[in-house]
Amino acid sequence: MKKKFLSILLILVLASSLVGCSGNKKIEGNVLEKSWEDILAEAKGTTVNFYGWGGSQKVNNWIDTYLAKRLKEEYDITLNRVPMNIDDILNKLLGEKQLNSQEGTIDIVWINGENFYTAKENELLFGPFTDKLPNFNKYIDNNSDEVKYDFGFKVDGYEAPYGKAQLVMIYDKNKIDTIPKNYKELLELAKKNPGKLTYPAPPDFTGSAFVRNIIYDIVGYKQFMNMEPDKETVEKAIKPAIDYLKELKPYLWREGKTYPATISQLDNMFSDNEVLMTMSYNPNHAASKIQTGEFPDTTNTFIFDNGTIGNTHFLAIPFNAPNKAGALAVINFILSPEAQASKYDPKNWGDLPVLDNNKLSDSEMSLFTDVKIGKGTLPQQYLLDHRVPEMPANLIPIIEEIWLENIPVEGE
Amino acid sequence: MSRILNTKIKPYILLIPALTILIGIFISGLIMGLVQSFGYFSVIGLKDFTLKYYFEVLTDKDFLQSLRFSFYISLISSVIAVIVGVILAYSILRSRHKKSIEEFIYKLPIIVPHTIAALLVYNLFSQSGVVPRIFYNIGIIDSQSQFPSLVFDRVGIGIIIAYLWKEIPFIAMVVYTILSNINDKLVEVALNLGANNRQVFWHILLPLIMPSIFSSFIIIFAFSFGAFEVPYLLGPTTPKTLPVKAYIEYTNPDLTNRPYTMVINMILTFISVLFVWIYSRTFKLISKYNG
Repeated sequence: MKKKFLSILLILVLASSLVGCSGNKKIEGNVLEKSWEDILAEAKGTTVNFYGWGGSQKVNNWIDTYLAKRLKEEYDITLNRVPMNIDDILNKLLGEKQLNSQEGTIDIVWINGENFYTAKENELLFGPFTDKLPNFNKYIDNNSDEVKYDFGFKVDGYEAPYGKAQLVMIYDKNKIDTIPKNYKELLELAKKNPGKLTYPAPPDFTGSAFVRNIIYDIVGYKQFMNMEPDKETVEKAIKPAIDYLKELKPYLWREGKTYPATISQLDNMFSDNEVLMTMSYNPNHAASKIQTGEFPDTTNTFIFDNGTIGNTHFLAIPFNAPNKAGALAVINFILSPEAQASKYDPKNWGDLPVLDNNKLSDSEMSLFTDVKIGKGTLPQQYLLDHRVPEMPANLIPIIEEIWLENIPVEGE
Repeated sequence: MSRILNTKIKPYILLIPALTILIGIFISGLIMGLVQSFGYFSVIGLKDFTLKYYFEVLTDKDFLQSLRFSFYISLISSVIAVIVGVILAYSILRSRHKKSIEEFIYKLPIIVPHTIAALLVYNLFSQSGVVPRIFYNIGIIDSQSQFPSLVFDRVGIGIIIAYLWKEIPFIAMVVYTILSNINDKLVEVALNLGANNRQVFWHILLPLIMPSIFSSFIIIFAFSFGAFEVPYLLGPTTPKTLPVKAYIEYTNPDLTNRPYTMVINMILTFISVLFVWIYSRTFKLISKYNG
């Protein structure tokens, strides 16, 4: 009796949980067919939910104070920042798609790389929308590879550039006299200071980029741009680099038997003098850490002679964004010289701008030249001259897998 | 008749709101995971049911290593926690004077979350932590890097320390409660008949508290087997414990990897259910013992 009742209850509850999910479907006109004025009018007075990585207090501050304030003034839009890791966002969108939910909760996602690839391949994004944005048409060089491709994958107007970053290595001038100009000199440095260097274990974002940069430094980057995402091919291509990392391993922190799990852990170890070097995908990282007193005043930044990997991060709109007009207005504002210059200021964030300098008027250009770059950072032009493209997104999980199988395992 | 029906059904009706959420989310999530572990994930175009993923995971060297590592950490930490916990409980029982302070202090770690325990261990025992600094400053070691690597180490010492710090008080609390409720007369009779304290402990107290020792052992073993945060924060790059491995697979942006995650989760679920079963068997044993 009891059992029967329970099982009936179970079935009822399960059924209701399935039925309950197919909510009301509101079908509205396609926002992309409207004029820009109509879009702005529709966006007025609404709230835009901005989802993205919330791990940096500086970035959060810039969005909460500068961006949210200016949007309220200009468009009467309320910006609601929701800090969430991108894998959680993707899973949320995926769940909503699975349940065929036409009205989600996310209006804008901060995204790039393999996550964009996954989102676009699985039709989680709305678009193409970038040619609808006045500031995109006015200020962005849409022929540049950094706008057309995201980690080697075609953007096709499904995301708008947000900022640029580049991998840099960070050291203390008082502790290292000559900085390594390439992978060979890095090995020399490690041999001279055993146990004092390391890098975060992939899939940590920065650690993974560092491994790719070593691969580029040893076997070049061109061959990867059109490479098939096939494990054997990749394994063959990166073999010299994997051999190098094996050679480097015994001179690393803890003899390379274990690696810091996150970049923040490596930063802490650098602050604590446990290691001599840290790294960052944000070229202004050293400056902001000097400012907060976490890194010593003598901290400096360097990159390899062959250059380091740079990428662009983007903003996208989910397929089921409830406020697409508002999202378009916000993204358009972020692409204004004013917003980009404020974002570039290391005091605010220090994120590299995405606008095409040739398209800026003199007064717009001066917004950027007036910004004082911080202590311990490299000049803009030097970074741009030593910049190599990111690897196609679908190769990255393969490389991380190969790294994990070869480098930290015991007994070789 | 209707009254009987009423009293029988009433609790279930009252439970419906909670059950809806519990069963709706938990069971449907479990079913979804099970379906995906068989390779059916239609949103991304995987539509065939297959046992391929189970086969691949169960024959994967890396997976077996993780399974072994999880098992090893849980076993070592639980065994030590039980032994030390029982000794602690017994010594609190024996020192009847300052009981109120002791009762308070030993319970403190139980309310502190595991993440904080991990942070404490990191701050104390990492090579830039407090203990190596003290050792260095009083000259026991020449440099901080000479301090043995206790966190992020392959034998999982950091993880085990964090678990012990949390679990010893838990065992002590459970055992102490039982110990203090044991009829004093049993002990007095034994002492009267010429038994010494050790004999009293081994032949009277220990058999009486054995069932609760065993059931609390299973609780902490099952917990540390399925726990994520401590091994994630203090564990080595390889081997990873199973929950950490499942998480890393889950966050892989390549969605065709998802079935592997779900296979790992299903195996974790299976092992947990096994523990629940053993746990309920123990209780049957206890009631038999008491009755």
